[in-house]
Amino acid sequence: MIVCVAVVGHQNNPLYIQSFTEADDALKLHHIVHCSLDVVDERVNNPRKSGPTLNDTFLGLLYPTENYKVYGYLTNTKVKFILVTTDLDVRDADVRNFFRRFHSAYVDAVSNPFHVPGKKITSRTFAERVSTIVKSFGLSSAG
Amino acid sequence: MANFLAQFQSIKSSCDHLIIAGTRAHTKEQKKKFTHPSSGIKSSCCICNLNFHHECFPVEDVSDLWPLVKKGFEERLPFKRACLNNKTRNPVFVEKLPAEYILTTDARLRSRFPHELALFWFREPYATVILVTCEDLDEFKTILKPRLKLLVQNDEREWFIVFVSKAPPHNDQATKMAKKVYAKLEVDFSSKKRERCCKLDIHGLEINFWEDLESKITECIRNTLDRRVQFYEDEIRKLSEQRFLPVWNFCNFFILKESLAFMFEMSHLHEDSLREYDELELCYLETGKHRDFGGMDRGDDHAALLNPGNKPLMQIVQDDSFREFEFRQYLFASQAKLLFKLNRPFEVASRGYSFIIGFSKSLVLHESILPFCMREVWIITACMDLIKATASHYSDGLVAPDIEKEFYRVQGDLYSLCRIKFMRLAYLIGYGANIERSPANSASLSMLPWPKPAVWPSVPPDASSEVLVKEKMILQATPRVKHFGIQRKQLPLEPSVLLREANRRRASLSAGNVFELFDGRSGFNNGSGPELRMSPAPKAHAIAISRTNSTPGNFESSIDRPMRLAEIYVAAEHALQTTISDPDLWKSLSSLAEFEQKYLELSKGAADNYNRSWWKRHGVVLDGEIAAVCYKHGNFDLAAKSYEKVCALYAGEGWQDLLAEVLPNLAECQKILNDQAGYLSSCVRLLSLDKGLFLTKERQLFQSEVVRLAHSEMKHPVPLDVSSLITFSGNSGPPLELCDGDPGTLSVTVWSGFPDDITLESLSLTLTATHNADEGIKAIRSSGATILKPGRNTITLSLPPQKPGSYVLGVLTGQIGQLRFRSHNFSRGGPADSDDLMSYEKPTRPILKVFKPRSLVDLAAAVSSAFLINEPQWVGIIVTPINYSLKGAVLHIDTGPGLRIEESHVIEMERYSNTSENADCSKNDGCTVAEELTRMTLKDGRVELPDWANKITSVLWVPVCAISDGLAQGTSADSKTLLFWLSNPHLKFSALIDRTLAVHFTDPFHVSTRVADKCDDGTLLLQVILHSQVKASVTIYDAWLDLQDGFAHSGECDGRPTSAFFPLVVSPTSRAAILFSICLGTTVTKDDVKAMRSDSILNITYGITGDRALGAHTPVPMEPIGPEDAQRLTFKSAIVLQQPVLDPCLALGFLPLPLSDLRVGQLVTMKWRVERLKYFEENAVLGNNDEILYEVDANTEHWMIAGRKRGHVPLSMKKGSRIEISVLCLPLIAGYVRPPQLGLPRVDDTNISCNPPGPHLVCVLPPALSSSFCIPA
Repeated sequence: MIVCVAVVGHQNNPLYIQSFTEADDALKLHHIVHCSLDVVDERVNNPRKSGPTLNDTFLGLLYPTENYKVYGYLTNTKVKFILVTTDLDVRDADVRNFFRRFHSAYVDAVSNPFHVPGKKITSRTFAERVSTIVKSFGLSSAG
Repeated sequence: MANFLAQFQSIKSSCDHLIIAGTRAHTKEQKKKFTHPSSGIKSSCCICNLNFHHECFPVEDVSDLWPLVKKGFEERLPFKRACLNNKTRNPVFVEKLPAEYILTTDARLRSRFPHELALFWFREPYATVILVTCEDLDEFKTILKPRLKLLVQNDEREWFIVFVSKAPPHNDQATKMAKKVYAKLEVDFSSKKRERCCKLDIHGLEINFWEDLESKITECIRNTLDRRVQFYEDEIRKLSEQRFLPVWNFCNFFILKESLAFMFEMSHLHEDSLREYDELELCYLETGKHRDFGGMDRGDDHAALLNPGNKPLMQIVQDDSFREFEFRQYLFASQAKLLFKLNRPFEVASRGYSFIIGFSKSLVLHESILPFCMREVWIITACMDLIKATASHYSDGLVAPDIEKEFYRVQGDLYSLCRIKFMRLAYLIGYGANIERSPANSASLSMLPWPKPAVWPSVPPDASSEVLVKEKMILQATPRVKHFGIQRKQLPLEPSVLLREANRRRASLSAGNVFELFDGRSGFNNGSGPELRMSPAPKAHAIAISRTNSTPGNFESSIDRPMRLAEIYVAAEHALQTTISDPDLWKSLSSLAEFEQKYLELSKGAADNYNRSWWKRHGVVLDGEIAAVCYKHGNFDLAAKSYEKVCALYAGEGWQDLLAEVLPNLAECQKILNDQAGYLSSCVRLLSLDKGLFLTKERQLFQSEVVRLAHSEMKHPVPLDVSSLITFSGNSGPPLELCDGDPGTLSVTVWSGFPDDITLESLSLTLTATHNADEGIKAIRSSGATILKPGRNTITLSLPPQKPGSYVLGVLTGQIGQLRFRSHNFSRGGPADSDDLMSYEKPTRPILKVFKPRSLVDLAAAVSSAFLINEPQWVGIIVTPINYSLKGAVLHIDTGPGLRIEESHVIEMERYSNTSENADCSKNDGCTVAEELTRMTLKDGRVELPDWANKITSVLWVPVCAISDGLAQGTSADSKTLLFWLSNPHLKFSALIDRTLAVHFTDPFHVSTRVADKCDDGTLLLQVILHSQVKASVTIYDAWLDLQDGFAHSGECDGRPTSAFFPLVVSPTSRAAILFSICLGTTVTKDDVKAMRSDSILNITYGITGDRALGAHTPVPMEPIGPEDAQRLTFKSAIVLQQPVLDPCLALGFLPLPLSDLRVGQLVTMKWRVERLKYFEENAVLGNNDEILYEVDANTEHWMIAGRKRGHVPLSMKKGSRIEISVLCLPLIAGYVRPPQLGLPRVDDTNISCNPPGPHLVCVLPPALSSSFCIPA
C-alpha cells in the first residue's frame, strides 16, 4: 500500500506531500520523505554510483529498510518525486509506471498559469488525480 | 562425508601455515633415515617441508645438514614478494608469505592415510628441499646419485636440491672438489627447462644463494598450488554437476569448497578465498530448503557474525544439511575474516548491514519457533559487533573520501538499526513513555510490526509485585506536555495497540479468530491498515481497557482473562530475560537510567556517523533526538545547540510541518537559558510558520511572548530579523516618479504575520539605489507609532528629496519596545506567499524613480511677432509642464528696462492649444475641450498658477506696455526682455526655472520717404511709404504731415491727403504709400533758428485689428472707454527733409595714370586735383580756410601706400584755386582692383563734384619675371 507520495522542489523544499494512512501520523511520513532526500542527494552528487542509470529519471529504491520502501524519481528540472510504500514486494516496473503517470500529473499541475513555480501545489485537481493514481497502483500488473 | 567435518575443522585449526619438507643427503654416512610420508621411501636425504602460513615444506636431510643450515633457512622466512598464481592463473605478488620447514621425519607428516589425501591435500607439504653434501666425485656417483634419483622419482611433490659445500675457503682442493661434485649434480638433476639445484657454501659468502633459493622455493610452491587448485576445481566441478540430483550432498561440496578456500587463504590469496566463500554462500542459498533453522541454543541470540569458530561445524550440521541460522553466520564470519585481512572494513560493514537486513527476514519466517524477541536481540548484538569490529579495523584517510563517507553512512545505518530494535525492546518492557514521540522515532517504530511469537509470553505466577511496580510506572508517566501548551495529537510509536496485539496473540490459540486470518494475509503490514479498517470497535475497546484497567468479561471470548498493560510489560520482561544471553544488553534494559544511557549511546553513534557521511539529514535529525534526552536531563545548553541544528535544517529547506514540531522545543530551551534574542527569534519564527500549523490561540501566545519580552524584560535593545513575519512591498502600478530634489510620499504595503494588532514604536524603510551601490542607503521614517493589523497594511511615508536614480525597497526596520527588528523580505502578492521561506525573489521592480535634473517646465513666448509699442499689449507666455506637475507653482514676472506690466489689470490664463490639437478636435466632434480661462491678478510680480494648469500646457496673458519716449525714426522693431521665473513653495525645485523672453515691440509702420518728383514750380511730391510691421491689419483713419521749417505744404491744404482715401486698410506686412505735395518754404531768419524744427512729423491716426495670439492687437483697455476711442491710436514718425544742394563748391578729379602698365611691385603715382569752384561760406566759419583735409582710402591688401594717407594741403579760398595731391602707391596683387580713393572728410559729399571721375577698377599686371626674385635674401 502506498502510504505517502511527495513532490520535492529542486531546493529540497516540499511542494506537495500527501499521505494515505488513516492514522494522524503524516509527520512521520514527512520525516521519511525528508530523510530520503539524503539518498537522492547522494545519488545525484556521486554520478559514479548511479552509473548506468545516469540519465534515468527513475532513481529506484532509495534505501532498504525492513518495513517500508522508499522510491525516488528525479525530473529534468531536479524536482523529486518520492513514494513510500509498505508493500515489501513491489515490482520496479509498477513503480516506474506509477512515477510516469505521476510525472504527467505534475506537469499538468505546474502548467497551470495560476501556479507559481517553486510554490506548493495546491491544485485540488492534482490531488484527486494523484489519489486516483495511487489507488490504481499495482492494479495493472495484478489484473 | 559429513563425518570428516570434525577432522577437517581440527586440521584447519591446527595447520595454519605452509610447510616445506627437507631431505638430507650425505654421501659418507647416513646417520638418520627419514621416511617420506607419501612414498614411504627411506633415504638419507633431508626433506624440508615448507608450509606457508598454512602450507609446509618437508626438508629431506640426507646428510645431517639441517642443524647446520636451519638458522639460515628460517631466518629468511617469511618469503618476500612471492609470485603466485591466483585461481584465474594470473600472477599475484604476495608480500610476506609465511612458511615453515619441517623435517620429513616430523610426526605431522606421518599419520596420514591415503584416503584423506584427496580431502585434506591442502595441508600437505608444498615442496621438498633435499639437502646434500658430498666431497668426493666417486662417492657422489656411487652412492648419492642413485639415492637422489630414487627420492626424486618417487616423489610427486615439487623438489629441488640444495648442495651444501662445507669446504673451507683456504682449502683449494676441497673447494675444487665441491665445485666438481656440484657441477655433476647439476648435470644430473637440472634440466634445461628447470634449474633444480643450488649451492650453499657454508664458509663462503653466497649472497646470491638466498635469492636463488627463494625463487626456487616460490616456483615450487606456485607449481604445487596450481596443481592442487586444479585438482580441487575438478572435484568441485564434478560435484556441482550433480547439484540437483538427489544424491547430492552439500557437506561434501562444502568441504571441498572450503578446502580450496582455505588453501587460498594459506597462500595469502585472500581474494580468491573470499570468492570461494561467496560462491559457497550462493550455492547454499540456492539449494533452498534446509531442514532445521537452528538458533535454539542458549547464546544463539548473540549474533556470531564475526566469529567463525563460534560453534563446531559438527554442531551445525544435521543429516548432511547445515542449519541455516548457524551456517549463514559462519559463512559471513569467514568472509568478514578475509575482508579484514584484505583491510576492507568498509566492505565488512556494508556487507554486514545487508546481511543483517536479509537475515532478519529469515528470522521473521521462523519467529514463531524462536525465543521471544530473538530477532530483535540478534540484530542488536549483530549491529554492535559489526560496529565495534569495523570501527577498530578502520583507520581514517586510507581510503578514497567517498568510500570513507560511505563507511560512516553504513556505520550510521548499523547504529540506527540497532537503536530502533533497542527502542522496540524497551517499549515492550514498559519504557515507552520515555521514548520521545518524534517523527523520526515514530517513522521507525510505528511501521515496525510487533514481534510475532507463537504465543505471547504470559505473566509468571510470582510476578504480582513486579506488575504492581509497572502499574505504578504507567500511572506516574504523564504524557509530556508540549511547550506553549501546544496541543497536538501524539505520534504513534507502536504499529497497533500493544495491549490488543498481545492479548490477541494469546487468544490466537482459540479457533475462528477473524483477526488472525486477516493478519495472516496482510503479512508485514504495519497492522494499522486492514485491521483498523475492519474493526474499529475492538480498537476503541482496547483503548478503554488501557485507560481503566478494567477487565471486560466478554472480550474476544478468550480462554483466559486478557492481560493488562502492566502484565504485558512484566511478561515481556521475563521472556526477554530468558532470551537475552548478553549480560550487557540485559543490563541496558534493566532500568530506566540504563536504558537511557544506552539509547543515548546508540543515538549519538548513529548521529555522529551520519554527520560524517553524505546523509546529513539523518544525522541532524538524530541530533534532535539526542537533544530531547539532553533536555530531559536538564542539559539545556546542549539541547538548544542540537535543536538549533535541526531547526536550521528544516527551515533551510522549508519543511514547516517538521519545523513546527521542533521549534517549540528550541524556544523552551532558549527561554530556560534566558537567551532572549534566541527566544524572541524562535517566537518570531513560530509566528511566521504556516498559519495552519498552530491554533490561533497558540499563535496569540507566541505574540504575547514577543510583546512581553520586548516591553518589559530586556534591558538592551535586541536586534531581530523578522523577514519571514513582516513582509513588505511597494504598491502595484508604476513606481512613484519624482524629480531631483522634490519631496514626496511613498506608500508601502506591509504584511503583518502577527495574529493580533501590534504596535510598532517606530518604522523605517531603506531605499536602495539600483544602479549606484556606493550611494549610502537612506532610511525613511514613519512618524509616530504605527499599528499593524494582521494581514495587509498600507503605510505612508514621507519621502525627503532623493538623489536621482531608481530605487528599490531595501530593509524595513522598526522597533517594538526594546526589540529592534528588521525585515529583508519582500512579498509580491500577499499572505499566500509569505509562508514560503524559499522565496528568493528579489524585488527588481523599482518603487521610486528620481529623475536627473532636467527642465521641468518650459516657458516660451506665445507670439514671436512684434507688438505695438507704447500700447498695453497682451504678451502671451506658454507654460508647458514637462511630465511634471505644477501644482501650487508661482510664476514671477519681472520686466526689463522700458517695459511696464499693467499690474492693475487682470492677467488671463487659458489652455493652450496649438493648431494640430485643434485639428484633432475638429475631426472629432465628441471632443470637448474644457475652455479654461482664469483671470488672476498680479501681486508683487507674482502670480499663482491655477490647479487646472497642473499638467497641461497653458498660456498666460500678461498686459505689458513697452515705453519708448522718442519718436519713431522709421527704424525697425525694438526688442525688449521680460524675465520670468517659476517657483513652487510646495515642491522644492532644485533650481528655479527662470527664463528670459525676448518680446518685440514695434511701431505699426516703418516709414521711409522719397521725393517722387520735382516739379518745375518747386513743388516736391513727397512719397511717404508705410511698411506695416505688425501681424495685424491696420486701418489708417487719418494722416498728416507737420513740416519742418523751410518746407511748406503746397497749395491750400493742411498737409492731409485727400480724405477720400481713408480709412485705408493696410494688411499685415504690406506697404502703403501716401503722397504729400510740399514746396520749399521761406527761409528762416536767424532769430528763429532756436525755434527751428529740424524734422517734420508724420502723424497717423489708425486702428488695429489683430489677434493677441498672433501678434500686435488692440491695446488692452486700461479704463473702460468707448469702443470708438479705444480703436483710435496715433502714430508719429519724424521725417527729415533736406533742401537739395545745387552747386558743389569743390571739384575733385582723378588724374590719368601713367601710360605704362601697372604691375605688381611697381611704384605708381596716383594724382588727384582739387579745385575750388566757388567760395564756400560755410567753411569760412570754421577757420583754416586756406587748408583742406584729405584722406586716401585704399584696400591694404591690394595697395601699399607710400606717402601720407591723411593730411592737410593748402588751398586758397579764391574761386578757381586748385592743387594736386599725389600719392605713391604700390600694387600688391594682380588683377582688376579698385584704386585708392581720395576723400575730403571735412567737406560734405554734396559739395564735391567729381570731375573727372576716377576709374572704378584698374588693371594690375603680374610682376615681370626676374631672376633676382630667385635669390634668397
